[in-house]
Amino acid sequence: MENKGLGEFEELVLLAVCIMAGDAYGISVKKEVEKHSGRSILLGAVHITLYRLQDKGFLRSEMGGNTEKRGDRRKRLFKITAAGMKQLRASQDVRQKMWKLIPQLN
Amino acid sequence: MQKDSHDNVPGLANWLLSKAVRSELHEELLGDLKEAYGARIASRGKAYAALMYWVDVIHLLLGFSSFPFFNKQNSTIMTGHYLQTFLRNFARNKAYSFMNVLSLVVGMGVCLVICQYIYFELNYDRFHDNYRNTYRVIIEEVNTDLKETSPSIGYSFGMSAKEEVPEVKRCMRIQRFNRGAVVTNPVNQLIFHEEVNDVLFVDHSFFRMFNYPIKKGDQESLFDDKYNVVITEETARKYFGDDDPIGKVLTINGPPSPGDYTVTGVLKDLPLNSHLQFDFLVPIENYIEFGWGGAVKERGGWNGFSVATYLTLDESADLDLVCQKLNGLIAQHNDKGIVKNVILQPIADIYMKSNIYSDAGFINSTGNMQNIRIFSVISFFILFIAWANYINLSTARSMLRAKEVGVRKSIGAFKKQLISQFIFESMLLNMISAILAIGLAFLLLPFLNDIIEKEIQLSLLQNQMFWFWYLGIILFGSLLSGLYPAFVLSSFKPISMLGTNKTDRIGNVNLRKSLIVFQFLTSLLLIAGTYLVYKQTSFMKSQELSIELEKILVLKIQQTTIDTAVVQSNFNSFSNAILGRHIVSAITSSTVVPGQFGINQYRRLGQPESAAPYTRSIFGGLGFSETYGLKFITGGPFTEDMQEEVVIINESAVHVFGFNSPENAIQQKLAIGNGQRTIVGVVENFNWHSLKEPHVPYVISLTNVRRNPYLSIKMSMSDIPESLAQVESTFRSFYPDQPFEYFFADDTFNRQYQSEVQFGKIFFSFAALAIFISCAGLFALVSFSATLRVKEIGIRKVLGADDRHLVLLLSKEYVVLISLATLVAIPVIWYGGSLWLRNYATRIHIGVDLFVIPVMIVIVIAALTVSQKTFTTAQGNPVDSLRKE
Repeated sequence: MENKGLGEFEELVLLAVCIMAGDAYGISVKKEVEKHSGRSILLGAVHITLYRLQDKGFLRSEMGGNTEKRGDRRKRLFKITAAGMKQLRASQDVRQKMWKLIPQLN
Repeated sequence: MQKDSHDNVPGLANWLLSKAVRSELHEELLGDLKEAYGARIASRGKAYAALMYWVDVIHLLLGFSSFPFFNKQNSTIMTGHYLQTFLRNFARNKAYSFMNVLSLVVGMGVCLVICQYIYFELNYDRFHDNYRNTYRVIIEEVNTDLKETSPSIGYSFGMSAKEEVPEVKRCMRIQRFNRGAVVTNPVNQLIFHEEVNDVLFVDHSFFRMFNYPIKKGDQESLFDDKYNVVITEETARKYFGDDDPIGKVLTINGPPSPGDYTVTGVLKDLPLNSHLQFDFLVPIENYIEFGWGGAVKERGGWNGFSVATYLTLDESADLDLVCQKLNGLIAQHNDKGIVKNVILQPIADIYMKSNIYSDAGFINSTGNMQNIRIFSVISFFILFIAWANYINLSTARSMLRAKEVGVRKSIGAFKKQLISQFIFESMLLNMISAILAIGLAFLLLPFLNDIIEKEIQLSLLQNQMFWFWYLGIILFGSLLSGLYPAFVLSSFKPISMLGTNKTDRIGNVNLRKSLIVFQFLTSLLLIAGTYLVYKQTSFMKSQELSIELEKILVLKIQQTTIDTAVVQSNFNSFSNAILGRHIVSAITSSTVVPGQFGINQYRRLGQPESAAPYTRSIFGGLGFSETYGLKFITGGPFTEDMQEEVVIINESAVHVFGFNSPENAIQQKLAIGNGQRTIVGVVENFNWHSLKEPHVPYVISLTNVRRNPYLSIKMSMSDIPESLAQVESTFRSFYPDQPFEYFFADDTFNRQYQSEVQFGKIFFSFAALAIFISCAGLFALVSFSATLRVKEIGIRKVLGADDRHLVLLLSKEYVVLISLATLVAIPVIWYGGSLWLRNYATRIHIGVDLFVIPVMIVIVIAALTVSQKTFTTAQGNPVDSLRKE
């Protein structure tokens, strides 16, 4: 693993951004993570994590479309960067390797 | 932004966010919040959405905050330092700090609870969506120079108002079941008496006009059939337990429209702050068709038997214009020549601004604006007492901190910094107290609920405006109580403070003294108020009433048989049977019991209808005057050979009808509507109603037992359980289909003094709290000055002063202050007391005891507080106090 590690929640958020492919913003990421993990998450936690990931260079963002539901405010849409993808793969690999080493599963 | 009022996100939260977070983040954060808010409203409701909105905002604030407060290193260091100084001082003087916080907490807690009470009282009926443009029609009759207002109007009025006045969007008429009803669930034979106000006739538009949420049932088809009934959740539980009531049958037995009603809807339990409190709703068509034996229909629904009418107007309607149109409508159908004006009363005003007498039967209880004013003034006074404590204690203590200030100044602190330090301390203390006060309010509320017999919740806490005010008042209070000590402390000259001798007499002693006078003045006034209310209430209760209430047992009865002769003969045999029991000496039936009455317009025969005065009316059966012990001046009681066209009147009525003397009134005729009544007896004025009011004219009409829902029995009270058992067994054998429900006449009569009793109790609690806070302050102050003078006392003791002189020396200052408070209090008590007593027709005289007793109480309590500390100081060994240096 590289020195810029991924926390568990960060990883979930990153995965959610990938799943949403282009339509990832605060609420949609929150919903996606809640859907898969089955726990309820505070909106603020998602926002803070998104920005932290952006600071680490794993995400990039731009302002996107507005809807009436949001009181005509634009969303900030997040996309995964190459570095982010690499990081995600790396952590996946680590896990795979370790899973394989568990004796009774072989 | 969308301008839909239902979708408004909490504005205060947005404001906070916009202040604290970098502006480039606003758009997306607010957008996300709004979206989440909308989704939550749809799934879990508005309150939940608002709460979560706040949680999210606070979370975001903590994560993204760029607020200067969190970032400026320098001020954070100073704040940290101030905090440390504050905590050290707080801990060093535990008793003092505890007293200070305690009195602030109590003061704020009481204030909160009272604010909640006032908020509840003033927000009646505001939960309806269109409460702003929904009105109740009030008719003002201008009649022989007297203006009488009442909500009663013929049933056709509402309908034609809706048809002919375009501004009227919706109309709803309401009437109660004339005399309550006996309701049975035929399946499980559960049977209960329901009171008059529990069963209401309403139009179907009721469910659109008002927002009583429907739990079960389809809003559109609730009243498809005339024999449908809508009940509340509570009623459903009462009659059906956990079963689904929809489609089940309830037998409602009582005039005017007995029958089997099918339950079509269940309403959620009614909000407590709704002026209508009911259990059953049935279509008003039943009343119009069957009411008063069909008599309601007789005059085309314009005069005579009346309902209350509610109208929802168009939002843009001009009220005056609508009133004019409605007036015109009434004038078209008015055949009596009495001028009638329409007043549109907003429904939110009904609870606070209704006259309970003219509304009798339409409203269960009304608010009292005078009480609300008194309570709000008092609760703020209590808060001020607490702040006065703070000022007193912190200035008194200033000599201890004088050295600290001296050091700060000599190493270069600005005056501004010192002031901000002390204001910071005051704010911190106030904030801590404010938070604890909310907890205290939760503890106090059940006591208040107990007194006022309501179930108020701390709903204020969900109101954003409240937090604004709460915060505002606390900031104001911290400034108010912090400024003075801050200026006093910061203005000392360092040189004098670092020296050793000039430690006492710092700060303005007069201010401190006048604050103590203010505290004790308030306590005195509250104690006097409590005593006055208590004395007046017990005085009224102990008065001779000229009717006998002590031994009267009242049974509730509903005549379910239609045939008058059968009802009468059954009642006669019941009377004979029960009179034969020896424990019962008299029995009668009546429409009302003491404390209740109807209003009718009788007039002397030959006079025009427009000159008819309003008189209170009681319908009673044979034996009425004997049972209630009325004293005849002339004439005599009802006898069996009389028809239902005779009346007994009281002395006041003799004057109102214009007879020269009681004797002249006998055998004269009174007219009511088109009927005539003969006066057969005149009785002395009697107190059928509370002694708050003067004697008013009463007309007692002879009526058949079928119309009377109450049986009054004069019973021997020597062995109540045994007598009751005998009455019950007799009752059961004659009325097997009726529940046996009873009460004692004097209990209901005394319930009229309920508001006085409540008022007295609340006053008492206020007084107790006020004196508690004042004494807490006094105690801390006395201990303080005693510590300061401990050396002086030591020296005096060494020189031979005895303990008594020392106690006197230490307490005489406070004796002077309390005497001063007394002097100011006397005229205030006298003036306020006489003003309040003017509400009562029968009232006590203000005597010396009203001044002496409160003063004694205050002196004793204050003396106990002061002497506890002064004694220990005076008895201390002088060696201990003189040795330390």
